[in-house]
Amino acid sequence: MYQNTINPSVMGQFTRSVLGSSTVSKSSISTTESIAGDLEEPYKGGKLASFTDLRVMRAAPETVLTKEDLEKNVEILLTETDTLRFFDLPTVMVSVESEDAEKVTQRNKKYEILCKNRLGNDLYVERMMQTFNGAPKNKDVQCDKIIMEDQGIMATTWDLYDSYSALELSSLAVKRSAIESSSKASVLPRERDQRLLGSTTDKNSEASSLMDIENVILTKVHEDEEDHADAILKSDKFLQDLFFMERVIMENIFQPKLAAYRQLPVLKEPEPEEPKEFLEGEKVGEVEEEVKKEEEEEIEINAEQSTIPANLERLWSFSCDLTKGLNVSSLAWNKINPDLLAVGYGHFGFKEQKRGLACCWSIKNPMWPERVYPSPYGVTAVDFSIGTPNLLAVGYYNGTIMIYNVQSSNNVPVLDSSESPQKHLGPVWQLQWIEQDRGTTGDDKREFLVSISADGRISKWVIRKGLYCHDLMRLKRTTAGSNVKGGDKEKKGEALLSRQAPGMCFAFHPKDTNIYLTGTEEGHIHKCSCSYNEQYLETYRGHKVSLIMGPVYKVTWNPFCPDIFLSCSADWGVIIWQQENLQPLLSFYPTTHVVYDITWSPKSSYIFAAANESRVEIWDLHVSILDPLIVNVANPGIKFTTVLFAKHTDCLLVGDSDGQVAVYELRNMPSASDSGRGDIINTLLGSKSNQPG
Amino acid sequence: MIRKTEVEETLKRIQSHKGVIGTMVVNAEGIPIRTTLDNSTTVQYAGLLHQLTIKAKSTIRDIDPQNDLTFLRIRSKKHEIMVAPDKEYLLIVIQNPCE
Repeated sequence: MYQNTINPSVMGQFTRSVLGSSTVSKSSISTTESIAGDLEEPYKGGKLASFTDLRVMRAAPETVLTKEDLEKNVEILLTETDTLRFFDLPTVMVSVESEDAEKVTQRNKKYEILCKNRLGNDLYVERMMQTFNGAPKNKDVQCDKIIMEDQGIMATTWDLYDSYSALELSSLAVKRSAIESSSKASVLPRERDQRLLGSTTDKNSEASSLMDIENVILTKVHEDEEDHADAILKSDKFLQDLFFMERVIMENIFQPKLAAYRQLPVLKEPEPEEPKEFLEGEKVGEVEEEVKKEEEEEIEINAEQSTIPANLERLWSFSCDLTKGLNVSSLAWNKINPDLLAVGYGHFGFKEQKRGLACCWSIKNPMWPERVYPSPYGVTAVDFSIGTPNLLAVGYYNGTIMIYNVQSSNNVPVLDSSESPQKHLGPVWQLQWIEQDRGTTGDDKREFLVSISADGRISKWVIRKGLYCHDLMRLKRTTAGSNVKGGDKEKKGEALLSRQAPGMCFAFHPKDTNIYLTGTEEGHIHKCSCSYNEQYLETYRGHKVSLIMGPVYKVTWNPFCPDIFLSCSADWGVIIWQQENLQPLLSFYPTTHVVYDITWSPKSSYIFAAANESRVEIWDLHVSILDPLIVNVANPGIKFTTVLFAKHTDCLLVGDSDGQVAVYELRNMPSASDSGRGDIINTLLGSKSNQPG
Repeated sequence: MIRKTEVEETLKRIQSHKGVIGTMVVNAEGIPIRTTLDNSTTVQYAGLLHQLTIKAKSTIRDIDPQNDLTFLRIRSKKHEIMVAPDKEYLLIVIQNPCE
């Protein structure tokens, strides 16, 4: 009889099944548990399942151990239990020298003999037996599907940054809410969030049963969406984005013109690809030809450029529906922002009076003005302040002066002179902000606004809790026949309608802001000083056509030569004067049209521009004093009314009577020599001696 | 209210500028609020540009978290797409910059 070595796990199973059927005491559970502890893992699950059924002792509720309990001395008694028999495996081997050895060997021998006798013996018969094999039954167990989900997250630098700053903000918010009992600001966003959350949950619950509820929910969702869309459209950020978008679109449309204005190289679009119908060889050949042609053209152009005379190239014009049909009366650059231009629209003549407009245009958007200030009266003068560059002074045909703050987007003027008792009674023909040193006190330069108007007064306006007016000069009429000494001699007995002479323009000396020139409707130019408000220092008479005086429309000092100034008038003439000389130095009568505006170029002391009714002329005295350098003729029906040079680029702005301000680029101007800024007098005196007078 | 009319006027002006093919304002979910193109094109543009904007914004902020994307322009052979992104909406303008 052989006994196989029994797999202890098999043994374990048997022991389990045996034990499971009888009542078990706690100690034996623990023993089998420890056996089972040695068992291999696959059986563990099964073991646990069977033992959880058996466990009848409930674990006593654990009492919380206090610290004192832990430090108490606990007595533990150890006793010896009875010896327990775990396992009994009888041996199959007996030592030859043991007591039972004899019996065992005898039994073994008997068995051997028995086996030998078995063969052919009648006592032993072979017989077959069939064991019934029970039909095996398959049993499958399937567990619930384990659903796996992939969750990934990418921690980017900005994500970390946002999380940290959100943590800081929330900690700050917690502190603040602890301090303030009710903070309105934190309530509002929460409300809005809740409303938004509400809208999303509403959308999810659309699957709910009743039609009525669905309809209600749908309308509520629609309203929420509409409100939200409205909120977007009304937000500040949206307006700002639209503003930038418009400028970007403008940049795309006007890119070559703006680049020319700013004197940057112009981007050229690459040639569109030729259609693929062409053969490859032909295509290559054509491309080569094109390249050659381009090179030739370039060479030609370069050659031509040196021989092309100076000309004005029109880049673009500021105009829109609002300004159509109005007459441009004045132009002014902003002192700080070189891209901001103020344009005043208003008619000059009394019969032509219509509504007026003052607009601020930006170079970056030539199709729509940044600010629009409408008014029922024509605008006759505009100027930006120097000290506070966001203030724009606007003078009107009815004599009022308004000051606007262009930084704010509303149209209400900051200051208005219409209530002032000393407001002007006639159109304000020119406005200028002047900075004057306080002198003795050594304060910063004080700035005030000087205006001249048709009621014959030159006034100085100071902003001090309102506009305060102080007359610098009252222009008196001087008749043609009176001697040079001046205006205080009046012929008695003459019934003059008014003693005042309407003033048209003024110009402060660039170096000495105490001295200024003023041109009147009589055709005289007076040199005055801020210290005397009754008398003129000098009077320059030059503009006249027979007995009729032509009003002097503009007087301007040469920015480089402090003694030279220029004047233009309705007598078709442009005259250059020298300060000490009461007779004109040079006079130009190029056409039979009224000259509305003249201005010196900021780059060269020889160049000036003149706008008369039919054309714009650029004169370069260095080149010729008889003919203008460039003449640009207007379209029929349009008169040029104002000119202004751009400061840092070679461009000229020309306003006309149709409400357009065109920007021209001066090309191929003769290069200004170094002496261009210097002494113009010598050149002119030298040339004057050649003139017949 | 003043703001709303200003917004409407500016939108109308932008739509009427030279070369502008379409103007779209879509909210954060891709639903068009104002558009001059048909709905399917708008939704397509909105979906694609939204993803691109997120990627561009992530790129900018990865380099410097204090920086942020303000404007995105894509120049292609046929036209230029300009996107002004925001947390709540996308302003998209397609322009054909003709020389």
